[in-house]
Amino acid sequence: MAERIEPRRPRRSIGAMSEGTERVPADDLESLDLTDEERAVLAKVGAILRRLSFGTVVLVVQDGKVVQIEMAEKFRLR
Amino acid sequence: MADVVTASELRQPVPKLELRNLTVARRTTGEPIVAATDVSFEVRRGEFVCLLGPSGCGKTSILNVLAGLDPATAGQALLDGQPIAGPGPDRAVLFQEPALFPWLSVRANIELALELEGVASPERAERTNRWLAKVHLDRWAEAMPHELSAGMRQRAALARALAADPDVLLGDEPFGALDAQARELLQDEVQRVWVESEGRKTFVFVTHNVREAVVLADRVLVMSAAPGRLLEEFRIHTERPRDLDDVLVTRVVSEIHGLLMREVDASVAREMAR
Repeated sequence: MAERIEPRRPRRSIGAMSEGTERVPADDLESLDLTDEERAVLAKVGAILRRLSFGTVVLVVQDGKVVQIEMAEKFRLR
Repeated sequence: MADVVTASELRQPVPKLELRNLTVARRTTGEPIVAATDVSFEVRRGEFVCLLGPSGCGKTSILNVLAGLDPATAGQALLDGQPIAGPGPDRAVLFQEPALFPWLSVRANIELALELEGVASPERAERTNRWLAKVHLDRWAEAMPHELSAGMRQRAALARALAADPDVLLGDEPFGALDAQARELLQDEVQRVWVESEGRKTFVFVTHNVREAVVLADRVLVMSAAPGRLLEEFRIHTERPRDLDDVLVTRVVSEIHGLLMREVDASVAREMAR
């Protein structure tokens, strides 16, 4: 008898939607079962977002881990 | 996970360099031309700042004021909180042309700069050897400038500028005359030298090459077309050495390029409407 393969449960993401992910409401972050490492990353991204008005944030991922957070801020001077 | 903290975020009581409402005019045979107007910014000790803008926007004029080569027409230029009265050993300038003495070897060019600074003979030799090694010219120490490639000559000029141990290195399109490969090698060299200075050296470079500015600088100050004013500032928080293909670099380059193109288009439209 052929083994029944369960459809893979899509991974849940915060905010951004991409293929194979479903959107999680912002007040339901607990349901994501985040590891301590993931929480640390989110805390750092949150700290950056609180100070950033205009700019870009890039997460550098290696072997499934965020190894670096890069940022560029833009200020209008005129 | 590395946190990136740039010198611009460190609290320092007095900025290394400061411009307050600087206006600078270029001397011409006729009326002076206002190159840049009402320019104010600070550069913290240990920062790497690039001034970027279209041709004629006053980048070089500003750098000449910081170097003490030209006076401010209006406003103030300060070094360590004091008005800049002229050139000094605390600032070295790297020009587009290496300006080496053609009748002196690479080693003698560097040693002469140290001699003029009053450095004693044994230390001169030691510092010259150290800087020749740092810019990978130790095998070419006895060569004459005409025997070197353009990139090697500029590396010799970099060694000569930094051997005197200035606090500030000012670069006026220092890689502008180099081919693309030599330019990239020099950019790597400058990044390495700046990182090795561990926050003791302040670099201010002028360029119209957007990629170069984003790869090198902590902060990129973008200027308008002439008369130059500051338009926008980009603070780049990412580790070095940076690469032209880095996602953040590419993204910021694209944004600055768009800003400059809009600025140039608006400037052309203003000229056409006259």
